[in-house]
Amino acid sequence: MPQSPTIRTSLGFVLVAAVCLVFADLAITSINPWLEMGRLLRGVVTPDFSSPGQIGTALLRTVAFAFVGVGLGAAAGFVLSLLFRFRIVRMVCAFVRAIHELFWALIFLQFFGLHPLTGVLAIAIPYAGIFGKVYSEILDEADPTPARILPRRVGVLSRFLFARIPDAWPHLRSYTSYRLECGLRSSAILGFVGMPTLGFYLESAFGEGHYDHVGALLLVFYILIAALRLWVRSRLVPLYMLAAPFFLGTGLPIAWGQAVRFFTEDIVPNPIRQGEGLVALWQWFADLMVNQALPGIGATIVLTQIALVATGALSLLAFPLISRHFTGRITGTLGHTLLVIARTTPEYLLAYILLQLWGPSMLPAVVALAVHNAGIIGHLIGRRSNEISLRPGAAQGRLERYGYEVLPRVYGPFLAFLFYRWEIIMRETAILGILGITTLGFYVDSAINELRFDRAMVLIVITALLNIGVDTLARRLRARLRLRHSPTCES
Amino acid sequence: MLKHALTAALVAALLAPAAASAETLVFTAIPDQDETKLRERFGKVADYLEGELDVDVRYVPVKSYAAAVTAFRNNQVQLAWFGGLSGVRARQAVPGSEALAQGVEDAEFSTYFIAHKSTGLTRSEDFPQGIKGKTFTFGSKGSTSGRLMPEYHIRRVFDAAPQDALERVGFSGNHSRTIALVESGTYEVGAVNYSVWDSAVANGKVDTGEVSVIWETPTYADYQWTIRGDVNQRFGDDFKDKVREALLAMEDPELLQSFPREGFIPTSNSSYDNIRETAKKLDLID
Amino acid sequence: MAGLSLRSASAAYGGQRVLDPITLTIEVGEQVALVGRSGAGKSTLLSLLFDAERSDISYMPQELGLVHALSVFHNVYMGRLSAHASWYNIANLVWPFRHEVEAVEAVLEPLAMAPKLWSPVGELSGGQRQRTAVARTVYQDAGILLADEPVSALDGPQAHNVMRTLTSHYATAVLAMHDVELALRYTNRVVGIDEGRIALDEPAAELSPEDLLPLYRGETA
Repeated sequence: MPQSPTIRTSLGFVLVAAVCLVFADLAITSINPWLEMGRLLRGVVTPDFSSPGQIGTALLRTVAFAFVGVGLGAAAGFVLSLLFRFRIVRMVCAFVRAIHELFWALIFLQFFGLHPLTGVLAIAIPYAGIFGKVYSEILDEADPTPARILPRRVGVLSRFLFARIPDAWPHLRSYTSYRLECGLRSSAILGFVGMPTLGFYLESAFGEGHYDHVGALLLVFYILIAALRLWVRSRLVPLYMLAAPFFLGTGLPIAWGQAVRFFTEDIVPNPIRQGEGLVALWQWFADLMVNQALPGIGATIVLTQIALVATGALSLLAFPLISRHFTGRITGTLGHTLLVIARTTPEYLLAYILLQLWGPSMLPAVVALAVHNAGIIGHLIGRRSNEISLRPGAAQGRLERYGYEVLPRVYGPFLAFLFYRWEIIMRETAILGILGITTLGFYVDSAINELRFDRAMVLIVITALLNIGVDTLARRLRARLRLRHSPTCES
Repeated sequence: MLKHALTAALVAALLAPAAASAETLVFTAIPDQDETKLRERFGKVADYLEGELDVDVRYVPVKSYAAAVTAFRNNQVQLAWFGGLSGVRARQAVPGSEALAQGVEDAEFSTYFIAHKSTGLTRSEDFPQGIKGKTFTFGSKGSTSGRLMPEYHIRRVFDAAPQDALERVGFSGNHSRTIALVESGTYEVGAVNYSVWDSAVANGKVDTGEVSVIWETPTYADYQWTIRGDVNQRFGDDFKDKVREALLAMEDPELLQSFPREGFIPTSNSSYDNIRETAKKLDLID
Repeated sequence: MAGLSLRSASAAYGGQRVLDPITLTIEVGEQVALVGRSGAGKSTLLSLLFDAERSDISYMPQELGLVHALSVFHNVYMGRLSAHASWYNIANLVWPFRHEVEAVEAVLEPLAMAPKLWSPVGELSGGQRQRTAVARTVYQDAGILLADEPVSALDGPQAHNVMRTLTSHYATAVLAMHDVELALRYTNRVVGIDEGRIALDEPAAELSPEDLLPLYRGETA
């Protein structure tokens, strides 16, 4: 059995994760972790809706930032997708999407400050990179014949609008609406760094232990996302897009001089600013690498690999919850709800909660990443498994059916989805450093706290390169194992 | 319920004040404790200053110490209630800016080390060597009382970085959370602003059976009001002096109690030279 | 309007030669049937002819090249995209002009496709799609027609109808056919392809179906 390359690869990943466990710190250090957990759960099941104005504003801002950010990202990404055959465009897309929304927000906060533009661009820029890539894949997959048989004299625009777009349209649309859901999560999370979205209020409510407020905010957010199909109708989207910019709030006026200073002074390495020469610059860079970048990279990789395998294991356990081969109508609905909650809860938020409850270690991060990502993969694999029709008289026992009939058929797509999320898990791992786990984000956050943007930029670029590396590796593995994917599984 | 929420939100969004006009003085404060408390306190301060200064005054809450400094640097706020370290950073970033006034208590501020009862540590006059090998939380990364001074003393006594001398080191984010995390036992020991602790105890917000003070640091200069150097061009010739006078004249006991400070006294940039030197030693500023 | 010609053109797929160097000239007024077994190289030859001279040609490949998400109207209209400015085409995409609709309807009528004017092509049957592609070709009104198996999905009367329509609109045409009787009836020159080369080239009037049988048995060598 281990001769199969798929199994060998899987075991390889498990082995790497096991080695990482040796270096990982997974203790629960809290003396009474369940006490606070109990209070939180009580708060969540007894939500306090006594300040509907605040909840409504939080929700409205979250939706507005998501629409404007995703809308701009989609428009820019569409233009990029048309130029995707140029290497430089592909590189730019890979780079901007390798940097997490929160890092973009931390950068833009330096020169736009608490202006809506900070939040909008923090979503729009990385999303443009993702849209650029996926749109170009979708357009490439469309049938080329209609365009080929048009006479040469047909204009570029007519050729494109008649022969290319219409057949790609349903795929473009479904991917864009999927990204809108991601955009709502991103938008909510931006509140943690000061944008007026859901995270802003969640952070306050959490910090002060008002778990009933937390419950109310989360509940409304879940409903918003679960009901996405009901309120986001294609006819209404243009209306939303037009209205959204007016609901971003005003923030504080921008000081444009800052933008210039950011590039000409702030991110210039300190030794150069002080005119201390190349030796000092080298010393500065070496210190930064040894004291911050390398430990950060180490922790990021360790946490990523453990979280990846944990995600895989949890996904395989979770998908039967919504698979018709294992559940009835009631249990299926229940499983569905569970997975929706798992994937709607942003991992950043989940890690934040668990860190408060269990104390400082990698465990909260691993659990948060595994739960959120298993919610997504479990959902996709579960749906895939529902397309399988078992022959009559197939294995009757549930365990046998799982092991012999269903799992072998969904294992390929499962690995493809998992590899797709590898880069995403790493991006999130880095960002969780902001919460205090010593991944790269911890050092970025420290540098920004110390107003040392030169260091922050170097660390962010290193994070981006690490992500691009993992993305490349994942693509090679997918190609080697001949795993096909659908682009909508990427987040 | 949802419908109410949406209506309220729509109204709130549409009636939201337009972008701060040139005549609005905007100020912020480092988010060193519970946000509700800060909003309440600085809402009152805004009303008070508006009455004294004849300009519109608006308080904006921020999510981090760095965001407070950045807003000041970007001239999105012109006045701020900083801690010792954040004030030093802000004034370094904005040439010409000035420390105007500090609380009476801020000239001789201090940090408490607090410990969970399970550690068995008790109050002592000397640095508590027993914290070695315990889990430890600072406040914000950018805090003076919650980070700079406690780290300085830990390094001085153990001659090692905190993460090497202690079992685990975290940053809770603010002082209220430090108290909560040590009280719940998530961390065994923490460093907290003495003033936040004292008022939490006075208000019955802390179970002192679970967590207690084990050491008080020597004193240092901390919080202060800092103003940008260019406010006179914008708000009128003697605006800076008017702000200073207004702050020094703050006498409403309820207002002062919300900080809590006995009153405000004049200060200057040089009062914080020691803080700057300490921060340099710890490589927290260039 | 000139005819078409290929000089020593060859083609290969994945290192495998599918067409030997072929030289072929089509004069104006010639309606040529390309016949031969499937895989003989007919489609490749048509494709080469199209690529050699793409300007005034209507090309109807075997896979039809229809845009499935668009309606029959739009697919037929695409035949004349090059006759209009971009803004006009875009306007027609969003809100078709009445006179364009009437013109397209007139082409669809004889093909019994008028009732399907606004149906998305993706919802049509194979035969209906083929007739849509035929209508597009007729509407395009180019100088030369290249069609690959234009009636493969159509039954008897419809096949005759379509062949009549195509040959009456295009005096110069190259049609790849597998139905020998239709080929002989509607064209005036027959070119037989076998194993990538021209095995037969005669006026249609001088051939009977039996003369073409060797092409299908691989007995031309």
